[in-house]
Amino acid sequence: MLTPEPQKGNAELVIEVQDLVAHYGRHKVLDGINLTVRAGEIHIIMGGSGSGKSTLLRHLLGLRRLTSGRISLLGQEIEGIHRQALLELRKQIGVSFQGGALLSSMTVGENVTLPLREHTRLDESTMAIMARMKLEVVKLGGFEHFMPAQLSGGMTKRAALARAIVMDPKLLFFDEPSAGLDPVVSAELDELILRLRDAMHMSIVVVTHELESAFRIADRITVLDGGKILISDTVDKVRSSSNSRVQDLLNRRPREEELDADAYLARLTGE
Amino acid sequence: MAEARLGWVEQLGKRTLGLIAEVGYLSALLVESLYWLVAGSFKRQPVRVSAVFSEMMRTGVSAIPIVFLLSFSIGIMLAIQGIHTLRTFGAESQVVIGIALSITREFGPLITGIVVAGRTGSALAARIGTMVVSEEIDALRVMGIQPVRYLVSPVLLAMLVMLPALTVMADFAGLLGGAVYSAMDLGISYAAYADRVISVLKTGDIFQGLSKSCVFATVITLIGVANGFTVTGGAEGVGRATTRSVVLAISGIVIADMVFTWFLNR
Amino acid sequence: MSFGHRVEKGYAVVELRGDVDLARSPEARALILQCLEKKNDLLVDLSEVAYIDSSGVASLVEGYQMAKKEGLKFGLIGVSEAALNVLRLARLDQVFPIHADLDTRIADDG
Repeated sequence: MLTPEPQKGNAELVIEVQDLVAHYGRHKVLDGINLTVRAGEIHIIMGGSGSGKSTLLRHLLGLRRLTSGRISLLGQEIEGIHRQALLELRKQIGVSFQGGALLSSMTVGENVTLPLREHTRLDESTMAIMARMKLEVVKLGGFEHFMPAQLSGGMTKRAALARAIVMDPKLLFFDEPSAGLDPVVSAELDELILRLRDAMHMSIVVVTHELESAFRIADRITVLDGGKILISDTVDKVRSSSNSRVQDLLNRRPREEELDADAYLARLTGE
Repeated sequence: MAEARLGWVEQLGKRTLGLIAEVGYLSALLVESLYWLVAGSFKRQPVRVSAVFSEMMRTGVSAIPIVFLLSFSIGIMLAIQGIHTLRTFGAESQVVIGIALSITREFGPLITGIVVAGRTGSALAARIGTMVVSEEIDALRVMGIQPVRYLVSPVLLAMLVMLPALTVMADFAGLLGGAVYSAMDLGISYAAYADRVISVLKTGDIFQGLSKSCVFATVITLIGVANGFTVTGGAEGVGRATTRSVVLAISGIVIADMVFTWFLNR
Repeated sequence: MSFGHRVEKGYAVVELRGDVDLARSPEARALILQCLEKKNDLLVDLSEVAYIDSSGVASLVEGYQMAKKEGLKFGLIGVSEAALNVLRLARLDQVFPIHADLDTRIADDG
């Protein structure tokens, strides 16, 4: 018997986005987004600034209302979800923000422990050990008494990652892991992302504009441009894509915009 | 001309709508913070007692010296002005009535409110505004921690306890200030002054002051928090929100005071 | 499915089963600490564990530390590949004495 195609049922998909449209005011920032992320994969969402990738992330995190379309996370539709169900869902999702977003009034250790303290009834000593374990995982052992302001950029990101994984989430979002980091530190973070996926079977979504890091860790890549998905496929397929815009992005060629002479003139004269 | 007038009307309409929206937002915020205070523990998302205590320290205890100093000064000023005015009628010994009533019913809560609006209202806007800018609020949300429960409810509770407490102290400080000046100018002994104050004051007077201070506590908290949550535009936005929250909170207090006094004394 | 424990060949053996997660690790922790309080050398048998998360691992860490303080022996047996992966993430595979089963542990004890 031949190996059957893996089933594409809802259980397999940790994220399903259908026909997502989103506006900032009257400006359309996302248009007809269709996206799936499978369980256990590392999925990179890539695009330049203004491509809509940050907006897409905010939608996936349930931080923005969508104009139309639907999003489901871990098999749960998030539009119109009941408060309690959303809370339960969020306990299974970890997020590491671009700037870390550690609470500045608390120590690193308290930050990492916070989700446990709020959502579990574990013993105090268990919570402390868990937090220290996660800090060890991100190589910040011994930094629990530091305040976030005392950490460097790379350390802040790692501390934020420790907080994001402290509840052993099924789904992890990582916003710009390598932005502003030196290549060695960013390679270490990539390594860590791979280990997390392998050890904890997390599905991981990474939003980034760093090509190198993306190709190193991704199972599949989604390339966004101007609010639309150019391609969403395996690393090899993305590499060999015949789409010229994708190739421009991969080769870091600036886009030659087609010039509409009349419109350009009108813009310059302000009419 | 007609166009300009339409612009003006439009502007007024826009402002009014904005005001209504803001009042609506403040009310929603109030309802939500109260909801978490009451229902939080049933939903296994309690408001932390330790957070309430640290807010009480921050908003209340550390404001004691300044509130005391200002109320004491107001007491002296009331005595000076009162004696000066009453001397025209030769009734300067009646000054104690004026001091006692105006301190407990008006100046105690008002001074306390203004000091706390300046300290806590601005600090709240700055703290929460900074958290918005640095994505900390978003982080709380995606961790499944309701920002209002976690950040606002403890402050509201702390303010509702500490503002009346500070007001009681302000009442004493103000009365003391009045006593010191009356003793100097009119030679009224402290004991006689105290006797007179006690005979003049009714529980209702003190209660009126205290219930005002609860209203002020709510107004300061909500305005500070709301301005923090709606910050846009980075660090500069935080600065704007801080200023705005102090101005609005003090205006809110004075207007609320006027409305309150109007209805209580008719 | 509740956790069990037995005494065999001088060791108390705590048998964890099924999912050792946020909901059930407090129970595992209580059982481990309870056995240690009775001054028993302790092995934790993970062979029936389907999934262990970091709260479960944290309970093992706490148990090991307590055993060391009390001068008792401690170890893990029947550690599945999945559980080992979780331990490896925090490099705890290099910390815990890990053996295939009770008999190899005893042989190792010499």
